[in-house]
Amino acid sequence: MKILKSKLTIFALISGLIFAQDLSGLEVIQNVYNRPTGNDMTGNLVMTIENSRGNQRVRKIKQYLKDFGKDEKKIMFFLSPADVKNTSFMTWSYDDESKSDDQWIYLPALKKVKRISSDSKGDYFMGSDFTYDDLGDRHPMDDTHTILREEVMGGKETIVIESIPKDEEYMYSRTVTWVMKDTWIGLKKEFYDEDDDLLKILTVDAQKSFGDVIILTKVKMHNIQRNQFTIMEFSNVEIDKGIPNNKFSERMMKRGI
Amino acid sequence: MKNQLFIFSLILVLGTNLFAQSLDINGYVRSYLGVLTNDTNDYSINQNTLDLKLKRVDDNVSFFANPYLVQTPNQDVRLGLREAYMDVYFNNMDLRIGKQQIIWGKADGMFITDIVSPKDLGEFLLRDFDEIRSGITSLKANYFLGDNTVEMVWIPTFTPTKMPDETSIWSRIPEFPLSITIDESQKEIPGRLENSEGFVKFSGMSSLLDYEIMAGSMWDDDPTLHIVPIITVDNPTPSGLMLIPIHHQLTLVGGSFSSELGGVILRGEGAYYMGKQLSALNPEQLNLPTSLLEKDYAHYLIGTDFSIGTTRLSTQFIQRAILDYDDSIIQEELDNTMTFLANRTFLQETLTLQLFGYFGLNNEDALIRPSLTYDLADGFEINAGANIFIQNEDSENIGQFGYYDDNDMVYVKVKYSF
Repeated sequence: MKILKSKLTIFALISGLIFAQDLSGLEVIQNVYNRPTGNDMTGNLVMTIENSRGNQRVRKIKQYLKDFGKDEKKIMFFLSPADVKNTSFMTWSYDDESKSDDQWIYLPALKKVKRISSDSKGDYFMGSDFTYDDLGDRHPMDDTHTILREEVMGGKETIVIESIPKDEEYMYSRTVTWVMKDTWIGLKKEFYDEDDDLLKILTVDAQKSFGDVIILTKVKMHNIQRNQFTIMEFSNVEIDKGIPNNKFSERMMKRGI
Repeated sequence: MKNQLFIFSLILVLGTNLFAQSLDINGYVRSYLGVLTNDTNDYSINQNTLDLKLKRVDDNVSFFANPYLVQTPNQDVRLGLREAYMDVYFNNMDLRIGKQQIIWGKADGMFITDIVSPKDLGEFLLRDFDEIRSGITSLKANYFLGDNTVEMVWIPTFTPTKMPDETSIWSRIPEFPLSITIDESQKEIPGRLENSEGFVKFSGMSSLLDYEIMAGSMWDDDPTLHIVPIITVDNPTPSGLMLIPIHHQLTLVGGSFSSELGGVILRGEGAYYMGKQLSALNPEQLNLPTSLLEKDYAHYLIGTDFSIGTTRLSTQFIQRAILDYDDSIIQEELDNTMTFLANRTFLQETLTLQLFGYFGLNNEDALIRPSLTYDLADGFEINAGANIFIQNEDSENIGQFGYYDDNDMVYVKVKYSF
């Protein structure tokens, strides 16, 4: 269930006690990508966006995720602020690399569900410092991965991986990820812009275990160049509660939570 | 008016007391000021609005009401009820009963298959999306089959398009060579069972395609003008014209689709209307438009949504074609329109720059709507913009946008959502 790892848990990984020294950079990232997870997940997301002047804006979202075979479906209901309340956003993601995500948005003022393009992954999500691609499930084969070194971070042993995109038009020139050896969790990730200057740093501030599944419950994306950041906090997480299939439908987008 | 305010207060009291534990109260307060840019600098609009959205959800039932108050200086406060309905949820079926807005189709800002809820054209096409459609008292049933839906709508009482008041700057009175008298005695459609309207839609959502197929038996929202020459026994030459607006029945079938191709959203929508009454010139009566011809017509569009960088763009081409056309018909055989939308956000989506335009290709007229919106804080926004009407004075006819060439305006809206 790559959905959970990528979209909700944001770089969360589950235990995979493979000894890292024998692995290539690609294999480390594939372990991250292919880790086993639950079949479905719900939770509340609070997103706090702070600009360089210290002004904060807060967005609250209820999310549902579910695997459908190798594919996944996700639906988000916006709870606040008031001017976006009852807006919903649905994504169907596919394991097939050649197939783009399908995305729809329901705007209460329009009272209809609109299909929108999934081609704007470089756009920022709700004005935050996360792009849609940052929140998404980037396939390991999209980048060339190299192990730079091993490093102890906060008392945890990590492997530092540099990932260079094969697509030269990609929004980042490279990323560097600190992956924990024992749990395959990405503790930190640096994003470099097209001039190879450091653009953003993602850090993990809290995590929680649900059996074998580890969810990152608090992450922070700091835009170094703009001196602003976004914190995502995840609460009321439930795993494998049996979300009905029809939750991911036009009917529910209109009806709401 | 006191009664209206009492009712509104009652709603608030009910909302805050009886259902305080579970009633969800949202809405907005808005101040809206528009100024004509012609020599008069008259205010085109000057109003304050309180719009409430009340919702309560229980296990398998819910209700929603959207009352609003509009206050204009030196005028009575206007109370309205945009929607008020109840929902009943079953395993595979939903029922919605009451006054509701029903929106169909994939078009933006055009009304092709989106004809279930009548329009409120009190300010031409300038109102916000949720204000330009009138709620209708109806019963709506949705039956769900996986990602497909059958929707049926029964409207017991016909509600026509709401037109601007005669004194409004948006009022449009047709020009005739003779003096006119308007007889509205036949405009009402009596509320009885055989006068009710019915619509059905089958829709589906899939990775490849979203689609809708619909049909309806309805009254024409826009009345046909029956024009009768006024003659006397003494003088057979018409001295004037009597205009009698009458709504006629229409039948239509249509559909729409939306799909993504290489990062571009393709949209299409079309409808075939049967039995439209059209005014035509009568050569036996001094070529006055006193004839009516019943014709079918088709109304359709193709549109795309795409992005260039971080700018979102959308364009649509719309055509209405009268079939089996007769040269005496006043409307042109083909009527072509285009729309264009560009939208870009800045400053972490707190600043939005938008340009929207309607372009009438037959008469080379247009409505251009640039606007800038800034979110001062969560839910608090300032929106400033302009509505620019363009008329080609060399054109043979005046188009629907060019007619309002003197109504160019700038405006500012301040809105707080809660």
